[in-house]
Amino acid sequence: MLTLTLKTALTVPLEAEVLSPDVLAPLAHDAIRALPVMLGKRQHRLDEHFDITGDGSEEIEVRGDLTKVKWIGRAMTRGRLRVVGNAGMHLGAYMKGGAIEVTGNVTDWLGGEMSGGTIHVRGNAGGQLGSAYRGGMSGMSGGQILVEGTAGIEIGMRMKRGLIAIRGPVRDFAGLQMKGGTIVLMSGAEQRTGAWMVRGTIISLKPLKLMPTFASACSYNPSFLGVYAKHLAAHGFALPPASEGGYRRHVGDASVPGKGEILVWHPHAAT
Amino acid sequence: MLRITGGKVYDPKNGVRGEIRDVCIAGGKIVSDVPPHARTIDASGMIVFPGGVDVHTHVAGAALNFARGLIPEQHRKSRPIFHTPQCRAGLAGSTPTTFATGYVYAGMGWTTANEAAVPILSAKHTHEELADTPIIDKCCCVLMANNEIILDLLETAEFERAKQVAAWQVWAAKAYGVKAVNPGGVAGWKWGKDCKGLNEPVPGYKNVTPRSIIKALADIIDQLALPHPLHIHCNNLGAPGNYTTTLETMKALEGNRAHMAHLQYHSYGGDDWFTMKSASVPIAEYFNAHPNLTCDAGAVLFGDTVTITADGPWQHLLYELTGRKWGNLDVENETGCGVVPYVYKEKNLVNAIQWAVGLELLLLITDPWRVCLTTDHPNGATFWRYPEIVRLLMDREFRKEQLKHIPEKVLSRIVLPDLDREYTLSEIAIITSAGPARTLGLAQKGHLGIGADADVAVFNERKDAMEMFSYPRFVIKSGQLIIEEGELRNSIEGSQFASKPTYDSAIEDYLRPLFSQHYTMSFENYPVTEECVHGLNVHQCGSCTQPG
Amino acid sequence: MSCTLGEVKNRADFIIYWGGNPAECHPRHFTRYTLTQKGKFLPRGRKDRTMVLVDIRETMSAKAADIFLQVRPGKDFEMLTILRALVKNQKVRAEAAAETGLTLEQLQDLVNRMKAAKFGVLFFGMGLSMTRGKHMNSAAALTLAAELNAFTKFVAMPMRGHGNVTGADVVMRYTLSYPFGINMSRGYPRFNPGEYSTVDLLVRGDTDATIVIGADPGATMPKPAIEHLKRTPTIVLDPKVTHTSKLSRVHFTTAATGISAPGTAYRMDEVPLPLRPALKSPYLTDEEVLKRIITALQKKPAWQPAVKGGEQIA
Repeated sequence: MLTLTLKTALTVPLEAEVLSPDVLAPLAHDAIRALPVMLGKRQHRLDEHFDITGDGSEEIEVRGDLTKVKWIGRAMTRGRLRVVGNAGMHLGAYMKGGAIEVTGNVTDWLGGEMSGGTIHVRGNAGGQLGSAYRGGMSGMSGGQILVEGTAGIEIGMRMKRGLIAIRGPVRDFAGLQMKGGTIVLMSGAEQRTGAWMVRGTIISLKPLKLMPTFASACSYNPSFLGVYAKHLAAHGFALPPASEGGYRRHVGDASVPGKGEILVWHPHAAT
Repeated sequence: MLRITGGKVYDPKNGVRGEIRDVCIAGGKIVSDVPPHARTIDASGMIVFPGGVDVHTHVAGAALNFARGLIPEQHRKSRPIFHTPQCRAGLAGSTPTTFATGYVYAGMGWTTANEAAVPILSAKHTHEELADTPIIDKCCCVLMANNEIILDLLETAEFERAKQVAAWQVWAAKAYGVKAVNPGGVAGWKWGKDCKGLNEPVPGYKNVTPRSIIKALADIIDQLALPHPLHIHCNNLGAPGNYTTTLETMKALEGNRAHMAHLQYHSYGGDDWFTMKSASVPIAEYFNAHPNLTCDAGAVLFGDTVTITADGPWQHLLYELTGRKWGNLDVENETGCGVVPYVYKEKNLVNAIQWAVGLELLLLITDPWRVCLTTDHPNGATFWRYPEIVRLLMDREFRKEQLKHIPEKVLSRIVLPDLDREYTLSEIAIITSAGPARTLGLAQKGHLGIGADADVAVFNERKDAMEMFSYPRFVIKSGQLIIEEGELRNSIEGSQFASKPTYDSAIEDYLRPLFSQHYTMSFENYPVTEECVHGLNVHQCGSCTQPG
Repeated sequence: MSCTLGEVKNRADFIIYWGGNPAECHPRHFTRYTLTQKGKFLPRGRKDRTMVLVDIRETMSAKAADIFLQVRPGKDFEMLTILRALVKNQKVRAEAAAETGLTLEQLQDLVNRMKAAKFGVLFFGMGLSMTRGKHMNSAAALTLAAELNAFTKFVAMPMRGHGNVTGADVVMRYTLSYPFGINMSRGYPRFNPGEYSTVDLLVRGDTDATIVIGADPGATMPKPAIEHLKRTPTIVLDPKVTHTSKLSRVHFTTAATGISAPGTAYRMDEVPLPLRPALKSPYLTDEEVLKRIITALQKKPAWQPAVKGGEQIA
C-alpha cells in the first residue's frame, strides 16, 4: 500500500491529478516523490507537499485536509483510492473504473463526466456532482456515486447513465436536463428537481416540490425498483419495502418535452 | 539576411518546379544574392515553398467571437498553447484564439489569411482581433449583398450611387475585397424567410432579386477595379439539389470576374437529404470552361467543429437537423450570422457525400491556379487540418483506403472512387500559395521571385504528405525566422491589406441622414479609422471605369 | 439568439422586458433603441410596437408597458419553463401554473402574442440573472427565444450592469476563448464559473493576491470575499478612491476611460464604439499602469511550467 500524508495546510489550491492509481501504481518510491503538482501557478514536487511511504500500488491512501487539493483520481481506470479526510474539487472527474472512498467531505464537481467506477463519500458533497462540465452535452455516463451526507446544486446535470444516491437532503436543480440514469434522494431536495429532464429516473423518499411542468401520472411500484433496492441495500442505502407504501409517478419536463420520471414515496397512512 | 541553400524549390509562379537552388532574403524581401557572411540555412533533403495563403477563412470578428463563447466544451478538449516568453497563451481547437491563430498558421508554414466576412458595423472589432493575430499578414472582405442601403438603391435602379456607396463602405471598413453571402437571403431571414432561387424578389422588395444583386455587385467591383473579384457565397448553401442555383449564379456572372467561395457546399444533387448526391461533375465542367471564375474548395473533414456563417437561414435549418446548440446574431441593415457546433461523421450519409464532394472538386478542376485549398475554416474543418487534405490529394492509395470507411451506399452517389489524379508538389504549391495569392491580387505574395515578400516555408521531404506539411522545419515571415527546427522561436506583427477605391466624398452627405434614421450609432463612429488598423498597407485602386 | 440594437429599432414589433427596470436603470434604452423610435419597418414608432413587462413588482417601467405581468418572486424560472412548454403545445395544469402568480390564460395569451409577433425581442435584467437559479434563469430566457424561432423571428439579450462589462467579455473571448471565470495558472486558459469566478475564489479564499481594475468588489461582494481582500495584498486601479481602495495595500488613481483616456467601449449588443477623450488627465491610463507592472515583472526570472504540451487538465 502507498500512503501520502499532506504536510501542511494549503493557502491556495494544489492540483494533483497524479494522485491516481493509474499514475502511481507502476512507479517506485523515488519516482512518486518527484511527480509534478501545481501549487497555484508554480510547479512543485509531490514530496514537497506530502510525506510518502511505500511504493507504487493499486491501493492508495491519502491523508489530511485535502479540501484545496483538486483532481484527485482524475480519469482513473483501476485500483482503490481512499481519502482519510476531506477532498477538493473534481475528485474522480472523468473516472472510468476502480473505487474512491472519502471519509470526510468533498466539494464541487465530484465524479464530473465519469463513465465507470464507484465513489463513496461518508461526509457531505458539493454541487455539480456527476454533472457535465460547462457546455458539455452529457454528464456521468456510468458508475455510481454514493453520498452519506448532503449535496449541493445541479447534481447529475445532463447525466446519461449510472446511479447517484444521496442520504442527506440536496439543493436546487437535482437531475437538471437529465438524459438517463437514476438519482435516489433519501431525504428529498429543495426545489426544481428534474427541471428540463429528458429521460431518466429520480426517486425521492421525501415529498418534493415539483416543477409546474410535471404531470402526475399514477401510483406505481415498478419491478426494476426491486433490483435497485437490492443493489442499494448492499451499500447501506435501504429503500422502504413495498408493504409500507408506494410511489407516485410524475412525468416531465413538458417544456423539453421530456419523458423523465420522478417517483415520490408515499407511505401507507398509519392505521 | 538569410540564404536557404540545398533545398528543392517550388515556385510555380516563376516556373520553378523542384530545382535545387538558393533562396536569398534581405530587408524582408526575396533578393538575388546576399553577402557570404549572411546566415545560411542548410535545406538539403527539404523542400522550399512560398508561404501559404488562405483565400477564405474565418479567424476574427464578431461572429467567430460569438462562436467562441458558445463552445466551452470544445475548448476544454483543444490543444493548449502555453504561455512562454515568445508566446501568449491561448487555445487552438476549432476557433483558435487570436494569438493562437497566428502561431498555428505560421506553425504550418502559412503566412497570409483572408478573413472572409466582415460587417461594417463591427469592422472595428474585427480589426482589433486581427491586430492581436501575430505573424501572419491579413486582409478581409466586407459583407455587402444584404446591405439594405445598397439593396434600396438597387430597388430604385440607382446603380451609380450604389457604386459610390459600395466604394465608400469598402474603405470605411478598411476591407480588401467584397463578399456576397446568400444575396438577399439574409435580408429575408430577418423576417424569418430565405431566398432559394435567383429570380424571386427578396422579401421586402419588388424589383431586387438575388440575381440582380449578384450582377450589380460584380459590376461594381470590376468597375472599382478592386484587386480581388466579387467573393460570392451562393444562395441555397448546403441544400440537396443546390448545384442548379450555383450554375445559374456562375452563368449570371459571365462577363465579370468572380470568386466562388467554398464551392463544396454548393455542389449537391438530389432532391432531399435522402436522395442527396454529388454534383461536382456538372459544376467542375462549367467552371473549367469559364476562366473568369476562381473558387476555393471549402472541403470537409470528419470530426468536431463549429459552423459559422452569415447565412442565418441555413444555420437555423442545421440547428433543427442536429437539435444541438444554436446561436444567431443579426446585424442591423447589413447582415446576420448563425453559429452551430457540428460533428461531421464518416458513417453519416450526408457528411460522407460532403467529404467526397470537396475532394472531387479539387481533383476535377483542371487548372490548379483557379482552385484554392480551404475548408471554409472552421465550417468544414479547422485550418490546421489542411495537411490531411494535401495527403488525400497527393496519395490515391490513401484516398482509396479512406473510402472504405464511408457507408457503401454513398459510393454510387459520388465520383471520388473513379478519380485517379494525384497532385504534384508543384500543384500543391499552387493551390496553397501561388493560386490564392493571384486570386487575391496580392502580387508580392505566393512566390519566391526577386522583390516578393520573404514568406517562406521549408519542409522535410517525406513520403507522407500529411506529416511533411504538418511540421515545417523552418518558417520565415517578412524575412524573419519564426519557426526554427520545428519550434516557434520568434513572434512578430503582421500587416493588414486594405483597398481604397475612388469615390466622390459627396456620398457621405447622402449616407448621413440615412444613418440617423436607420442605425443606432452616429455616422462619425461608423468608419474604422486608419489608426485602428495595425500595419495598414493600402492598395490604391485604379479610377472608376465607366461601363463600356 | 441575438442581434444588434438597430435591428430592434427597425423591426421589433414585440418587446418583452423581464426582471429589469429600464425606465430607471437604462433610461435611454426606450427612446434610443426600442420603444419610441420610429423604425424602418415600424413607421409609427410606439404605436407599431407592443411592450410587455415581467417583474416581481410594479416599477416605473410598468407605466410604459402595454401589458404588465407580475410574477411571484423566485418563480421566473418556473414561468419561463411553462412558456417553453406552451410554445410546444404541451399541456400545463392551471393549478400548477398558478404558483407563478399568473393564470394559465395570461401565460397562454403571452405565448400567442410571442408567436404572432413578426420580430420579437426579450431583454432580461439582473432581476432574472442574479436571483435564485442565476445562470439557469438566463438559460431559460435564451432557450425560450431560440425555440420561438420555429414560429417567428425572436431574439433575447441580457441587460447588463454598468461599465464596459461587455468589452471585457469580448476581449477575454478572443484572446483566451472564454468570457470570464478564467484560470491561467497552468499556462493556458481554463474556464469554470463557480470555481474560477472572482466572487467564488475570494469567498473560498483560494487566492493570495488580487488586482482590481474598474470594479468595486469591496462595496458589492459578500462579507467573506471582502474579508479575504483585506487579509491578502490587494491592488486597485480606479479613477476614484473606492471602497476597495480603502481596504487595499496599493491604490493607483488612473485616467477615466472615455473622459480623459481613449479606448473602445462595447455596447450591450457587442457593437464597438470608439471613446474619444474630452479632457486631459494628470494620471496614467489603466493600460499604462499595467504595462509598467508587466515590464517590472519581466525583470524577474521568467515563470513558466516545466511540463509543456499534453492534454489540458480541465
